[in-house]
Amino acid sequence: MDTSLSERLDAVLREADLHPPSALRKLLGYPSSAIGAFIVTLFLLIAILGTFLAPFESNEQIAADALQAPSSVHPFGTDNLGRDVFSRVILGARDILLLAGLGTLLSVICGTTIGLFSGYVGKWLDEIVMRIFDSLLSIPALLLALLVLGTFGPSRNGVLLVLLVIYTPIVARVVRSVVLDVKGKAFVDAARMRGETIPWILFREILPNAIPTLVVEAAMRFSYSIFLVSSLGFLGVGVQPPSPDWGVMVKEARIYATQTPWALFYPASAIAVVVIGVNLLADGLKRVFRIGDH
Amino acid sequence: MEYRNKSQRKWFVSLIYQILLISVIGVTTGCTSNDQTSSRGVLRVAAEAIVQTDPAFISSDSEVMVVNAVYDYLVDVDESNQIQPRLATRWEVEENGLTHTFFLAEGVRFHDGTPLTAEDVVWSFDRLRNPDSGLPTADLYSNILKIEATGTLEVTFTLRKTNPFFLYDLSDNHALILKAGTDEFGSTFNGTGPFKVKTYSPEDRIELVANDDYFLEDLPKLEALEIIFFTDEAAEANALRTGQVDIITQISTALFKNLQLESSIITLNVATNAFPVVRIRADQPPGDDPRVVQAIKHAINRNEILALVQQGLGAMGHDTPIGPQYSDLYVDDLPLPELDLEKARQLLDLAAYADGLDLTLRVPEAQNFPDLAVVLKEQLSKVGINVEISVEPESVYYGEDGWLEATFGITGWGSRPYPQFYLDVMLTCDAKWNESHFCDEEFDNWVSIAGSTLDEEERVQAYREIQRILIERGPIIVPFFFPQFGAVHERVENFQMKAFVGRSDFRPVSITEK
Repeated sequence: MDTSLSERLDAVLREADLHPPSALRKLLGYPSSAIGAFIVTLFLLIAILGTFLAPFESNEQIAADALQAPSSVHPFGTDNLGRDVFSRVILGARDILLLAGLGTLLSVICGTTIGLFSGYVGKWLDEIVMRIFDSLLSIPALLLALLVLGTFGPSRNGVLLVLLVIYTPIVARVVRSVVLDVKGKAFVDAARMRGETIPWILFREILPNAIPTLVVEAAMRFSYSIFLVSSLGFLGVGVQPPSPDWGVMVKEARIYATQTPWALFYPASAIAVVVIGVNLLADGLKRVFRIGDH
Repeated sequence: MEYRNKSQRKWFVSLIYQILLISVIGVTTGCTSNDQTSSRGVLRVAAEAIVQTDPAFISSDSEVMVVNAVYDYLVDVDESNQIQPRLATRWEVEENGLTHTFFLAEGVRFHDGTPLTAEDVVWSFDRLRNPDSGLPTADLYSNILKIEATGTLEVTFTLRKTNPFFLYDLSDNHALILKAGTDEFGSTFNGTGPFKVKTYSPEDRIELVANDDYFLEDLPKLEALEIIFFTDEAAEANALRTGQVDIITQISTALFKNLQLESSIITLNVATNAFPVVRIRADQPPGDDPRVVQAIKHAINRNEILALVQQGLGAMGHDTPIGPQYSDLYVDDLPLPELDLEKARQLLDLAAYADGLDLTLRVPEAQNFPDLAVVLKEQLSKVGINVEISVEPESVYYGEDGWLEATFGITGWGSRPYPQFYLDVMLTCDAKWNESHFCDEEFDNWVSIAGSTLDEEERVQAYREIQRILIERGPIIVPFFFPQFGAVHERVENFQMKAFVGRSDFRPVSITEK
């Protein structure tokens, strides 16, 4: 008897009374999650429509307007190089959300695949993979990031690699725990008895059970990725100037904090708001999927 | 309050008296101590932590500041870049320009009490010019044929060829006079200078006390000098505001402008010849095509760079390292390539870069160089030059001579009291730090004349030609010359900050209690 991936997922969600419409209703039922969802949606819209919303180019320098306080022309003021802070914050949303999103997506794909195989095959493969991941996780994230970027040089791809190296082990561990939980269940045994291949069992039978956990984990990783990308930009080892990366903007404005506090305040606030938004959303998803609610 | 017995009461009264007595003594002592301090004063200067204490190896401003207080130079340079006597009270130059005789001040003693003699001067310079020592000064003094003690207080230098800037060479930052035979260079601090080292706590501070046997009467004015190490200018500024330090230097434009608004703080703005040089390598594509160099020069807006990067402070550069500081040698009537985007595009077309030119600009993370890179990127993008910026820590940029290999980069050069240094080390064919790999026979010829002629007129002419060639075909852009910013508390008197802060003279500085 064949069951497609969507049918399995459907079954899992039906079991938990979590069809997309009802899940969304539940999510928006919590005020904090609704706020989170609103913030994330807002920033996603800003990222998508940024080029239409920003009145100036990200690196457009207007010498006569340098060091200007917020006004109707420059709602967030200008920096020391005469660049419109509002436009840079708006255009920076796309850069940071894209980079953090892509990093999260890649680490979720890699982590899921490795976690599924490692947990299902077990034995020596699981042992080796988990010990390698343990050693990676024992190094503080920022230190590991500096190590990777120090080796490969600061660039957008380097940052992507950092996110992959740091978050893959975490996602893999989470997925592996779900695999260990369900791999002994009857439907997995049934699939094995039918003679299904390992990839089929992993992706068609086991993966759907990990989706709720994975969605929450991805949201958490996304929030951490935004923070890490900004931190690396601030430290000067991530995205390079004159990119409107929020971390880079904070770093650049820090020196002129006494002259142009607005150039420091707005990108820093953007980082804080979007990270809070994603965290609130992740908390909501956790509640909706009843993860950790045993 | 009731006391159980008489003795308890007596004990209490006696305790009160003791407390009062101690307080009175404390206050009196405190006043006396304050009075003593204010009579001569302790000056506290904020600076970055020092690493090197051996005068031959020092480089940073704070390192020079320390050794300049502990040791003496043979001759010194004042705020106007003029040579002044220090240990040598006078000197004579023979007509051939090759023999220089210096007469040392009388009564000069090292901090250990031994008198200064000509032998100490000979020993100090022999150490600095020893080609096997690996010291940065070996090249500088390679023109010295011999140094002799021609009297107890008389030293004679004989040169291989004439050098009009020889006195400036002798006042190099490293050229401090040590006691002959010194072997523990970094720890003994046995100089003849106006201050003696009292305590040195690495990464915290160095405390110096006045040398009461200093050979110049009534100097130093201070009782003590404390150089306190900071890592952050915001912390320095707060220390200045709260009176924990009296002088801060090398501050950013933003902080300088901020401190200008405070009444108890006096801000200092000194013109210097320090500059960033934007250079493209002339020995490889695309910089080996003079049309590309010219296109870049026509594409940049120098006024905008000065306004944005420097907030209008500093002097405009003329694509040569010779700035307005060298008033007698600086030429300001040679026309610079004007801002002409169309001409820049045409030159790029002719150089076969009509479809655009991609360049990576390597920038050390220092001062406002990243800002300069961002402005350049924007300006060059208008003529189809796509610049990718790579901001690197200074240790990476300058490490393992990587900066000398970079195709397109920005490098910072410090202020020097005379301009020949820049030409000799950064622009002649065989220059040690020829980062642009510029090699021009005519240019080298003029540099050689400028560095050897004793004829003032000929030297001025040579410098004019040097500047003309660099403006016309030099693969360098010097967009501006930095000013040096500092701030002092209003109680500090007679402090004159020099372009190279470390060489500022603390001998006449005094403190008044306000």
